[in-house]
Amino acid sequence: MASHTITARTPGVFYRRPTPDAEPYVADGATVAEGDTLGLIEVMKTYREVKADAGGTVSRWLVENEDEVTIGQDLVELDT
Amino acid sequence: MADVTGTTTDTGTRYDFGGDEFVYVEISPEMSLPAHFASLAITRRLREEALPGVEEICPSNASYMVRVDPDRIDPRDLVRELQRIEAEVGSAASEDPDFVVDTRIVDVPIMFADPWTHEVLMRFRDRHQDPSGTDLDYGARINGYDSAESFIAALAGAPYLVTMMGFVPGLPWCFQLVPRERQVEVPKYVRPRTETPERAFGFGGAFAVIYPVKGAGGYQLFGSAPAPIFDGAQEQPDFADEDSVVFFRHGDLIRFRRIDQAEYDDVRGQVEARRWRYRTRPVRFSPSRWLADPDGTNAALVGELDR
Amino acid sequence: MSVLVRDPGLETTVQDTGRLGHYAIGFPPSGALDSYAYHVGNALVGNAPGAAALEAVYLGPTLEFTTDTVVAVTGAEIPVTLDGEPVPTWESVAVRAGQTLAFGQLAGGARPYVAVAGGIDVPPYYGSRSTYTLVGIGGFGGRALAEGDELPLGDAAVDPRAGRRVDEADIPEHPTTAELRLLVGLHSYRLTPDSLERFTSTPWKVTPDANRVGYRYRGAELEFVPREQPFGAGSDPANVTDCGYPVGSVQVPGGVEPIVLLQDAVTGGGYATLGTVVSVDRDRLAQTKTGDHTRFVPVDLDEALTIRRDRAGRLDRVRRSLA
Repeated sequence: MASHTITARTPGVFYRRPTPDAEPYVADGATVAEGDTLGLIEVMKTYREVKADAGGTVSRWLVENEDEVTIGQDLVELDT
Repeated sequence: MADVTGTTTDTGTRYDFGGDEFVYVEISPEMSLPAHFASLAITRRLREEALPGVEEICPSNASYMVRVDPDRIDPRDLVRELQRIEAEVGSAASEDPDFVVDTRIVDVPIMFADPWTHEVLMRFRDRHQDPSGTDLDYGARINGYDSAESFIAALAGAPYLVTMMGFVPGLPWCFQLVPRERQVEVPKYVRPRTETPERAFGFGGAFAVIYPVKGAGGYQLFGSAPAPIFDGAQEQPDFADEDSVVFFRHGDLIRFRRIDQAEYDDVRGQVEARRWRYRTRPVRFSPSRWLADPDGTNAALVGELDR
Repeated sequence: MSVLVRDPGLETTVQDTGRLGHYAIGFPPSGALDSYAYHVGNALVGNAPGAAALEAVYLGPTLEFTTDTVVAVTGAEIPVTLDGEPVPTWESVAVRAGQTLAFGQLAGGARPYVAVAGGIDVPPYYGSRSTYTLVGIGGFGGRALAEGDELPLGDAAVDPRAGRRVDEADIPEHPTTAELRLLVGLHSYRLTPDSLERFTSTPWKVTPDANRVGYRYRGAELEFVPREQPFGAGSDPANVTDCGYPVGSVQVPGGVEPIVLLQDAVTGGGYATLGTVVSVDRDRLAQTKTGDHTRFVPVDLDEALTIRRDRAGRLDRVRRSLA
């Protein structure tokens, strides 16, 4: 099985949930399709969705919720 | 490292550079009418002199700022010119009966304790000094008034001078023309609100403002103006006639007149029909005369509006 | 003659040299944050100085052209493609009607600029085509670009020509620690000497709150000199009697998180300012991003004026080399 890593396209603060009280966009081990939302990055007071650019199963998160991330930083690994 | 790069003159005025493009002049660290009159007189003279390299003149409360083109005038040479002008007109602004400002007085209706700012300020009580009451209750109490009613009467009881424009386009900073012991002073919110309604009448430090557009804000909220002070599309006659998107000018005199909801609604109707006009009258304002007889001068100024 | 916005990117706006002359009524200048990249872009495509261009941040827009024209991308280090084929930056590129310009992942800096021959022909507002989103004026509808927008192009290009290239030596580098030179002053006396020293010795980190209004930094706490507040200033030690703010001035509300005010900032207010970044270095600042570090290096007025003259000389030389 191959793995695929999704990276940040903008710097900012990474969130796994749409709001602090909501369930995460995707649970660990969940299967996602290309285009599914995996999280949010907040920068310049706007929130941008992080989308899967490939389908697969979430195998490992490489950042914590509310971590500050940089452009190109690995966010999550998918088994494809 | 030197902590102040600027120079201070005998009068206590402090001259400093805001990078390579601005000269900042602080007449006094504290707000006072004589300090403002000096700023007013100096900036008016500076405008008349039209020195090369002076790109913009921004009068403010107890200070002023000049945007300079340093390719045309060395900012240090400009400071020397400003010091010369200060010597010529700075203190004269408050002392010389011949120094007068031709300006206008504007009638600005305000609905105090209105439902719109009330709704917003109640939502942000956790950011306020006194979460238990309203901003008006708090302002009244810390300024020694026995009720919000008597506090409103004081706020609307004497005219104001627009001592600075800015923050956002068209916002007038208004300083009430009363002796120091009668001036209202309130702190800003402990943490700024993320929301302020458009046309809210606010108060912070020693200044009343009207917020031209909705947005964040930290001033105490006391009321609402029904009429616009910013009109980006210039739809209202006042703005179209002047070809300006902002109504107020530095040096305007304002009477904030207390109105009820019926008059508020009536003004809103005129605004929506795009035929609202402010009542204004040309007046000649003499700082020295005002300083000698504040209440008499105020009565004469406000009287112009009701003639 | 237009450009179709297929993907707006993030806060992409129309900008020019700015709306100067209305600071006293509260209009900040707006305009391109990285003035050098903006001016060189116009020179590359043969525009007169002052033509409106696009300023993007972090993510470039995807743009489809309805006409043959010439474009140049300057500013941030970012891969650019035309119909999927890589094209160089800091160089004028011929575009045919129907072709699409797109951007890859940012490699350095923060803000790419897209200059198009003839300029973006939105109506001027108070003398400028720059967007000022706070009150929704200027630029394209007073807002950042959105998918589906059709941007009109002007026909006033003086000498549009592909293949003009900026010398390597005249392309700025964008290190992840930027040095911003500033004149200490204004209300710097409000900070304790220790704090003022700490301000210039701390490597400040750019927070996510960093946009055209201002950049907010984290890295140290600064203390104000205790005093009885003057009348009119308000009760907070960070407050002064409300005054004008120079563009580029630095304020420290609450003693934490200094903010450098930029071209869309408020024009005045009641926070003590401790100095002003020299105008030329706002270009460097504009190319820093959230997570980068910044050091503030004190200079005096003579140095600030020399920096300004050097920059003007360099821009003149680059313009002549491209003419």
